[in-house]
Amino acid sequence: MTGASLNATSHHHQQKHGSTSTNVAGMKNRMKQSNAVGISRDSRHKRNATGAKRAHYRKKRKFELGRQSANTKIGAKRIHSVRVRGGNTKFRALRLDAGNFAWGSEHTTRKCRVISVKYNSTNNELVRTNTLVKGCIVEIDATPFRQWFESHYALPLGRRGKKPHDGHEEGLNKPRSNHVTRKVNERKEGFKVDQALDDQFVTGRVLARVSSRPGQSGRCDGYILEGKELEFYSRKIRSKGK
Amino acid sequence: MAEQTERAYQYQPGVFQNTKLAAKKKSSGALKRWYCDVGLGFKTPKEAIEGTYIDKKCPFTSGTISIRGRILTGVVVSTKMKRTIVIRREYLHYIPKYNRYEKRHKNLSAHLSPAFIGVEAGDQVTVGQCRPISKTVRFNVLKVQKKIVKGAGAKQFTKF
Repeated sequence: MTGASLNATSHHHQQKHGSTSTNVAGMKNRMKQSNAVGISRDSRHKRNATGAKRAHYRKKRKFELGRQSANTKIGAKRIHSVRVRGGNTKFRALRLDAGNFAWGSEHTTRKCRVISVKYNSTNNELVRTNTLVKGCIVEIDATPFRQWFESHYALPLGRRGKKPHDGHEEGLNKPRSNHVTRKVNERKEGFKVDQALDDQFVTGRVLARVSSRPGQSGRCDGYILEGKELEFYSRKIRSKGK
Repeated sequence: MAEQTERAYQYQPGVFQNTKLAAKKKSSGALKRWYCDVGLGFKTPKEAIEGTYIDKKCPFTSGTISIRGRILTGVVVSTKMKRTIVIRREYLHYIPKYNRYEKRHKNLSAHLSPAFIGVEAGDQVTVGQCRPISKTVRFNVLKVQKKIVKGAGAKQFTKF
């Protein structure tokens, strides 16, 4: 069996971040070990551009190795660290529940809960199984952004019918110094939120796109969809729903 | 919106589309477009600057492709692939024993940016080397010289 060096990768699975060691996980270790040998990223197994079959003249090399995909799901955070080439570490997120999402046009970022995967341009299966990957469209919990917005602009966001909830009023009407009040009023002038975005805030759920790679960095970060992009993906999601 | 033909939203990664200032100036309608000069004296085509296509492998509108290494020329053989063409490069090989030459050719796949419209078989084309774009494509079209209509076809031998 080749690969004393390959075995090293599986040993690190034993040190898990934020999850308990169980027998099931131990079994997974052994499976991961054998599968890591199986996946390679070489092109020697492929045919030439001319169509000729390439002769198999050497074994798989360690630097050509590939690993099992993370298939990050939504749930209580579970991240494994992997030792990779050069001694560096990758954080394989197996389950994530929150990420740092950015509201580009407002230039703010907030940590938000990820609720579900809505659309994946590559594979519908990944939507069905709620798998987080880079570039997939997710629904995130909008409350951190609403709270920021209301304390920054002192304008209600996503409020239909005047039903004041206890927590929300704080952001709108919190006691502000004269200096701060002046700044807030300056910001308010001529400012309007995009209608499509506002509608999303009413439901408390906002569409966002994941821009980090959860299986590599262990994080699910992204940005809120706005404008043309939001239009594009909303249409896709709606037509899927039919 | 004609360029949004894929299942994912096509956009230039360097350009942020949703700035608030843009919302105020929506009257122009056109999105800000990023383009660059590939260097080595090659003029970036007007279509690359004014067009609306999104191509992450175009050397003029993608920040990820740089032209370096070899610059070659050839004749277009086929344009049937999506956004890439096959070029034929002919050359003479010397046989010392007989003191004569023989004709040889090599085919080459090059990525054709949507900035170049109306490229047909028989056109002369200048390609520049870039990083591997796909399994066989390592070149990107930089300049197209249309075929001069004569009797001869593309498969006939023409030396450069």
